[in-house]
Amino acid sequence: MKKIICFMAVLVFGLCVMAGCGQSNAEEESADGVKMYMIVSTADTFRQNLMDAAEAKAEAMGAEITIKDAEGSLENQIAYIEEAVDQGYDVVLCNPVDVDTTLQLKLAAGDLPIVFWNSCPDEQYLEEDKYVFVGSNESDAGQFQAEYILDKFADQDTINVAIFEGQKLHSATLGRTNSLKAALDDSGKEINYVFDDYADWDTDIAKSQFELLLKTGQSVDVVACNNDSMALGVIQACEENGISFDDIVIVGVDATEEGCAAIVDGKMQFTAFQPAVGQGEYAVMAAARLAKGKSLEGLDYLDDNGKYVWVPFERVDSSNVADYQ
Amino acid sequence: MKKRKEKNMGQQKKDTAGRSMKTKMIGIVMPIIAILVVAMIILAYTISSSIIKKNARDLLDSSISYQSASIASWLDENLSAFSMAKQQIEKTQMSEEELQKTLDAYYNYNSNYPEGLYVADMDGNVVKAADSEKTYDNVTEASWFKEGLSRVNMRYGTAYESEDGESVVSASAILDDGTDNIRVISSDVSLAKITIIVNSFVQMDDAAAFLVDSRDGTILAHRDSSLVSTTLNTSDSDELLAAVAQKMEERDYEDCELADNLVGFDTVDGTEWVLVSYIPESIVYANANQLGLQMGVIAVVALIILLIAIERAVHMIVKPVRSLTQTITTMADGDFTIDIQTKGRDEIGKMGRSLQNFTVSIRGMLSEIRNISDQVSSQSGTTSDLSGNMYNAAQIQADSMRELNSTVDQLSESITEIADNATSLAMVVADTKTTSMKLEDCMEQTVSASEKGKNDMNKVSSAMDNISSSIQKLDQAIGKVGTASEEITNIASVIGEIAEQTNLLSLNASIEAARAGDAGKGFAVVASEIGKLANTCTESVESIVALIGEITGLVKETVEQASVSIKNIDESSGMIETALNTFDEIFDDIHTTGDLINEMMNKMDQVDDVASNVAAISEEQAASTEEIHATSENMVVQASNIATGSQSVLEDAQQLSEDATTLTEQIAQFKI
Repeated sequence: MKKIICFMAVLVFGLCVMAGCGQSNAEEESADGVKMYMIVSTADTFRQNLMDAAEAKAEAMGAEITIKDAEGSLENQIAYIEEAVDQGYDVVLCNPVDVDTTLQLKLAAGDLPIVFWNSCPDEQYLEEDKYVFVGSNESDAGQFQAEYILDKFADQDTINVAIFEGQKLHSATLGRTNSLKAALDDSGKEINYVFDDYADWDTDIAKSQFELLLKTGQSVDVVACNNDSMALGVIQACEENGISFDDIVIVGVDATEEGCAAIVDGKMQFTAFQPAVGQGEYAVMAAARLAKGKSLEGLDYLDDNGKYVWVPFERVDSSNVADYQ
Repeated sequence: MKKRKEKNMGQQKKDTAGRSMKTKMIGIVMPIIAILVVAMIILAYTISSSIIKKNARDLLDSSISYQSASIASWLDENLSAFSMAKQQIEKTQMSEEELQKTLDAYYNYNSNYPEGLYVADMDGNVVKAADSEKTYDNVTEASWFKEGLSRVNMRYGTAYESEDGESVVSASAILDDGTDNIRVISSDVSLAKITIIVNSFVQMDDAAAFLVDSRDGTILAHRDSSLVSTTLNTSDSDELLAAVAQKMEERDYEDCELADNLVGFDTVDGTEWVLVSYIPESIVYANANQLGLQMGVIAVVALIILLIAIERAVHMIVKPVRSLTQTITTMADGDFTIDIQTKGRDEIGKMGRSLQNFTVSIRGMLSEIRNISDQVSSQSGTTSDLSGNMYNAAQIQADSMRELNSTVDQLSESITEIADNATSLAMVVADTKTTSMKLEDCMEQTVSASEKGKNDMNKVSSAMDNISSSIQKLDQAIGKVGTASEEITNIASVIGEIAEQTNLLSLNASIEAARAGDAGKGFAVVASEIGKLANTCTESVESIVALIGEITGLVKETVEQASVSIKNIDESSGMIETALNTFDEIFDDIHTTGDLINEMMNKMDQVDDVASNVAAISEEQAASTEEIHATSENMVVQASNIATGSQSVLEDAQQLSEDATTLTEQIAQFKI
């Protein structure tokens, strides 16, 4: 009995010490010899930035990293994952082509841990210290937009809002839209949603829908877009229809190059920056830990349930846009 | 007494030990098992109930997901149809007539939207299916129209009650036909179908669901039809509805427990509707509680069975121990006659066998001890007797020694006396010698007298011739002869007295010699010889006396006859011849007597020597006797010591005898 108690005490003490060490070294981890396999669904600007940051971070930590582009094909993606398994990689960093195929991806990876990034699988497919998502919480973006709008129209009781959403049922669409609406609805002001439709992240669709909105003759105070691309479409429509940017507030998400330029030009007021570099770095840090069989405990921005690492969005407006160009 | 007390205490101890061994074992094992069983039951119940809860939650989630997916797919199905129709209308840029035809075609085309599609413009003009009897008033203010203006893709708006009292929801959007004439196309979907899905598609027993529009909290579908189209209110009297309203306001759609219900939320894709599903916790926990009850019953039954099994097992285990205890108790009471039944090859079996061996060896040892103690007892008795005897013997010995000592004393005195006597004997012998010398003188005188007599006779013979003349002279001579005879008689009586005295002395010497034992033997012989000599001497003296008497008589007769028979001188001459011969014989006899006296004198010398020797030897003897006396004194002391020693030996022997008896008695307590 005594022995057991002693053993337990030693075990607990040991674990505490180890946990303590783990925490104290959180910022200076090395990943010597760890082999990482990073797959992107389709490379775009944001993802490329993210991958570049990940590569740099992995090299800095001493890990070996291989980056593949599935080119939008689930088959390619699964093939790459199997290749990672066959070639003895320690961890897969996967941007799912389709989040509904998460289970399939996990099966393909076998015992390898997976760090999902950019597209967030459903929570039920994630598992603490095994299948985690590193990204930014989409609801942050909507929240930041709503805060900006409410601040902008603080002296106005009624706000006519037009919302341009991304693809229907897309996690970013839902996250950004719902948080935006929730924040606006909870403001106590009368919010008229004069337009709210899916523009599928697309500049042209957003442009034509905005033009249609203009035809309905409804007055619009603010146009909130789920991304900068759609905001650009709205901007184009405004420009073509001679609408002054002083009369309309346009906000986007992503702080893309064009978006930032629009802010500099005064055509767009606000965007939320999804830190591609931060996401890439944290994806690699998380991957390094999982590869070594260690817990993510103590990693910054780790969600309470241990399944998410939420690298926060950043607010971008005319005051700080220069930092993001 | 003390022993008995100890025994009693031992007995009590054993008894309590016997009782407590079983109770102790059960007392130790049962609480542990009971605790373990209870712990296991609690653990199992906790795990099971959490699993049941999780399962219930999962089931609720899956049920709600299924319902929500069903609703979504039903809505999507209709929405696709609307979108197709809308796209067809937009692409073909229909004329009013064509539009009417198309709308007519959708009328009663699908039971979900029996009225089909309808189109309204900004001026409130409505184009609907020709057969539709539905009326549209104040179209531009209708929510479906307003909502339709906010989107290009068909989407469901908020539910409302149509003019004919039916709960409907309209899917509407801008009909984007490329013209500047903004129109809204819409279609009404009855919530009846959704109500069926909500109320009937519940996948979980005893669970219920209702559909709420998250934008304004309107209940779109509910089992209780009176609640449909009412708005959720946080101050609702129904606690569950109030709690759900609270959650909806907070947009917290996590599974939770509200008002004793397990509640799940799910948003219906493509809408802002939230499906709320709930199940009373009591039902969820009923399973767990039933399980708990079953487990409790199982635990109780298991405990009882375990109790019985353990009791039996302990009984079985303790049984041999108990019999062993009984055996040991009996053995402790000294009874080794019991036979130990041993079964099994376990420790207790070994113990039993060892005990069996032990009793056998103890039995042997005890019988041996008993034999030995018997022997010791009898031997100690014998020893006691013997030592008593020895003591007595020692006493007797001591007495004897004392007696011996006194005897030796007496002996010593006797020897001293002997020595004295011998000395006086020697002196007497010396005296005798002197007297004998006188006797010799007398004898010589006798001899001379005799010779003179002979001569006288001779003269008588010669004078016979002158007889007549010499008768006077003869008378005178005969007178003289008489006187001489008297003198001889006197001398003989003296010699006789001496001989008698010598004889007495020799007797005395014989007696003393006899007293002196062996040492006196030689002396005794001498004494007897002396005695014999004395006797012979006496006899001779008596003969002399007798002869002298005869002589005297004869002389007197002669005188008388001479006087009478002068005349018979011839006869007288022969008679004188005879007298002369007799004189010769007397002479010879006197010679012999002288020889004898000489011989006696020699013997007297020898007696004197012997007496001297006897005295010397007696002196030595007296000295030896002194030594003997001293030795016997020592012996007396030692005999006393022996007596004292044997006294203590006797006491020890008696003690030993008593001990042996006690030992025997004690050994007798063991039964073997």
